[in-house]
Amino acid sequence: MLNVYFGDMPDAIYNTAVYFKNTYRDQWITNDYSVRMIKDVDRSDVVDAGLIQSPVLGPITPLQLSGGVKTLLLIRFDRNHVFNASTCGDNCSKWILDMAKNRKVLINLYHVMDFGADDFKIRVVNSGVIAHNMAELIHESIPYL
Amino acid sequence: MRGSFEVNVSRRRGTKYRFTIRRNITIVRGDSGTGKTTLYEMIADHTRLGEQSGVTVQCECPCVALTDSDWKSQLSAFENSIVFIDEGLRDLLSHDFAKAIEGSSNYYVIITRADLPALPYSVNEIYRIKTSGKFHSLVPLYVDRGGYRYSLYKALPKRDFDVLLTEDSRSGHQFFERRLRESGIDCEAAGSNANVLNWLDEHAEEDIFVIADGAAFGAYADRVFKIQGLRRDSLVVCLPESFEWLLLKAGIVKSNAVEEALGNPGQVIESSEHVSWERFFTDLVKKETAGTPFAYKKSELAEAYSVEKNAAKVMALIACRNVR
Repeated sequence: MLNVYFGDMPDAIYNTAVYFKNTYRDQWITNDYSVRMIKDVDRSDVVDAGLIQSPVLGPITPLQLSGGVKTLLLIRFDRNHVFNASTCGDNCSKWILDMAKNRKVLINLYHVMDFGADDFKIRVVNSGVIAHNMAELIHESIPYL
Repeated sequence: MRGSFEVNVSRRRGTKYRFTIRRNITIVRGDSGTGKTTLYEMIADHTRLGEQSGVTVQCECPCVALTDSDWKSQLSAFENSIVFIDEGLRDLLSHDFAKAIEGSSNYYVIITRADLPALPYSVNEIYRIKTSGKFHSLVPLYVDRGGYRYSLYKALPKRDFDVLLTEDSRSGHQFFERRLRESGIDCEAAGSNANVLNWLDEHAEEDIFVIADGAAFGAYADRVFKIQGLRRDSLVVCLPESFEWLLLKAGIVKSNAVEEALGNPGQVIESSEHVSWERFFTDLVKKETAGTPFAYKKSELAEAYSVEKNAAKVMALIACRNVR
């Protein structure tokens, strides 16, 4: 299930781009799931571990992926840390929910990400309450943001 | 600094950005993969190496990026510049940062999805990046649907309102309370702009017309509009620049200074003197009405504003269903 902590979380990795730059592994990029995420969010094609074809920027390295994709990759592959997912746009939310389907995922948010119109289950760690839709998630966020 | 600035950022590899910065605080957010970080990195490269970076920046004033963790000392070196800040700077959320911006001669372009409640930024200056091939521009994230009513969706309210909600119980609230006394609409005050969200959350069953100062409502816009999107038949969010701006716009108080400020506020308002347009228009209406029957005080609204002829002019600007 997805767990969200709203507001300042000292142990969470805040600057995910810098952390990604210094920790990512080649296999994170070429993994099938990552390839689909990169295609969906950045509209870019993974050629190999060091080369990605972007429709806007041309050939790029993994360091030039969007901040949102870098954070998604960290959430997927680094399970020892909590990451600031306010670096992710709303177009990343379906991937975060998907990654949390079969395991516990904890993210840190400084805003209320739009998780869509469908019902979901997100535990707000600050209060311990489970939100089932956006109205409940906004309600739970109010004391903490 | 005052005025609007057209900014062109490009590099030989082909990426180009073109946009206009209109006020001292501009927020850029939106989906991932739209080019926010690329814009920041191009400005940062140009800040470090100038034209030798391969990046060209065209603007009437210097465009610089805050690149150091020692942001206070770097910021102290910038004057009359447009300063670009990326979301990786954790101190963005601090009161120290908000203090540094207040009274500064610079304009700031901040890339972040955090709400930043310590900063009084306008709902009109929150943008997303729109891409067309290799060209990028900034487009407003929130749209005025008419009558200063903002929403994520085009839908119009389908029912009359039970409640008109103001930010606080001062002059604006007094105006609407007097105007709507006989209408059957209750006038409520949230207590502050920060409390509007909480108030709406606690009153989910009522049909509500919210009126707040758009010039300083940016930090609350995201969640309030999300709630509005969930209750689009029964909730309207009306965000003129400020109540004082509305009084001036209605033509109740006339002078050359008022006409000039309303015509092109960006050219008139000096960012180092007024951190938000809301504060400027409060000062202006006070100055222009001193010693007249319209003498303006935040704490108590002069009766002259509430006489039918004048109040009707104000209401005409924001009229919606039974709020008129």
